[in-house]
Amino acid sequence: MKRPILFLSMIFLAITANYATASAAHRITASIDPPIIQANMGDKITYVGTITNNSDEPVNNIIAYVSLANVTQGRESPMDLEDWSANKAIKVDTIPPHGTYKGQWPMRLIDSGSYVAYITVVDKNDNTPISSAMSRLEIKRVLRLNPNNVLPIAIGEPMIIGMILSLIAIRRRKRIK
Amino acid sequence: MKAACIMQKEIRESILTPKGSLWYILTSMILSVLSYLFLTNSELSLLDQGQMLYMIMNFITALGVLMGLVFGADAFAGEIERGTLEALFLSPVTKVEIATGKLGAALANWGILFAISLPYLFVVGKGGQNLFVGIAYLAFLGTFLAITSSAFSMGLSSRIKSVKNSLIISFFIFLLAGSPIFLSAAQRGTWFGRIIDFINPFAGAINTFDSVVIDSQGFGYQAGRVATIFGYTLLSLWFLKRSVSRLEM
Repeated sequence: MKRPILFLSMIFLAITANYATASAAHRITASIDPPIIQANMGDKITYVGTITNNSDEPVNNIIAYVSLANVTQGRESPMDLEDWSANKAIKVDTIPPHGTYKGQWPMRLIDSGSYVAYITVVDKNDNTPISSAMSRLEIKRVLRLNPNNVLPIAIGEPMIIGMILSLIAIRRRKRIK
Repeated sequence: MKAACIMQKEIRESILTPKGSLWYILTSMILSVLSYLFLTNSELSLLDQGQMLYMIMNFITALGVLMGLVFGADAFAGEIERGTLEALFLSPVTKVEIATGKLGAALANWGILFAISLPYLFVVGKGGQNLFVGIAYLAFLGTFLAITSSAFSMGLSSRIKSVKNSLIISFFIFLLAGSPIFLSAAQRGTWFGRIIDFINPFAGAINTFDSVVIDSQGFGYQAGRVATIFGYTLLSLWFLKRSVSRLEM
């Protein structure tokens, strides 16, 4: 008889703990807009993160930040957003009960590939950070570099300088004579 | 006016001679090779393009400083060794005017270098980030550094009166100024690296280029470093004036 009671108690405890975590997580929700972006290398885009306080109490001193991960095959890695000129973390002083806060993260698309971006909200009163759904970001390579442009200068400039200096030297010699 | 005459003489003797002008053809050839190698690499991100621009700017600045030091080392010690300083002193120009003329020639040399580098900077930086602001910073900081290195080396040359020794000391200082290049990012983050970066005008310039071209940071971030470089420029001009006024045959 003791065993079933113990087993049922454990199930009850597990459900209660899970509910507590879920309710804490649902106190705040985060979303990211737009859900999909297709752009070219060098473009400037802006992510808008919406943080919603679903509780009846105000939420104070939360931190929100955007994360970007490269999911291109063979190049999977988190990105250093400093290089992408993205804003760092935003500190939100307070969100009133059932209120929302909108944060903006503009960034310049530095490299091509497939990425995912998401907003994470950290509330020091909760143990679990809250993340938004992922926004897909596809960046198309735009090759601005054209080696053909450099060839006339790479070949022509030393020749032109050489010719100008030779002309000056010849004129000087003639003058001296 | 008299300083302008000295400057013209220096330009004729040091820049417009076949041997003197070889520098420019070599500079142009090195920049050609660098630019071509950079631009034939198709696997580049926008950041890499900024990096290329930054590297070319560093190269041009280093070359400007180096040429300033060489010009300066020869300025007075060279005249003494060739036995031409007496004639210069007998002419109706003051020592400060002579120094100003020689400094003007060294600056003209930097101006030519900068002009040679412009087409390469445009080709490499085209379509990338912060090209024009980068070029503007290169023009200002490069000019300050060219004045600093030339004036310091000229002052040294007038005190030491030996081209060889002036050159050795100048090269030693050039290596010291370029030391941040030899330090890793971690070493530059330590207190020692930070002090070296702060007191070194060359490091100040390359950090500014990095901040402007790659990190797209505004003038507020650069003000301290620009002020330090400008301070060195004033200090080296004072050193030159003081050294030249004491110069005697």
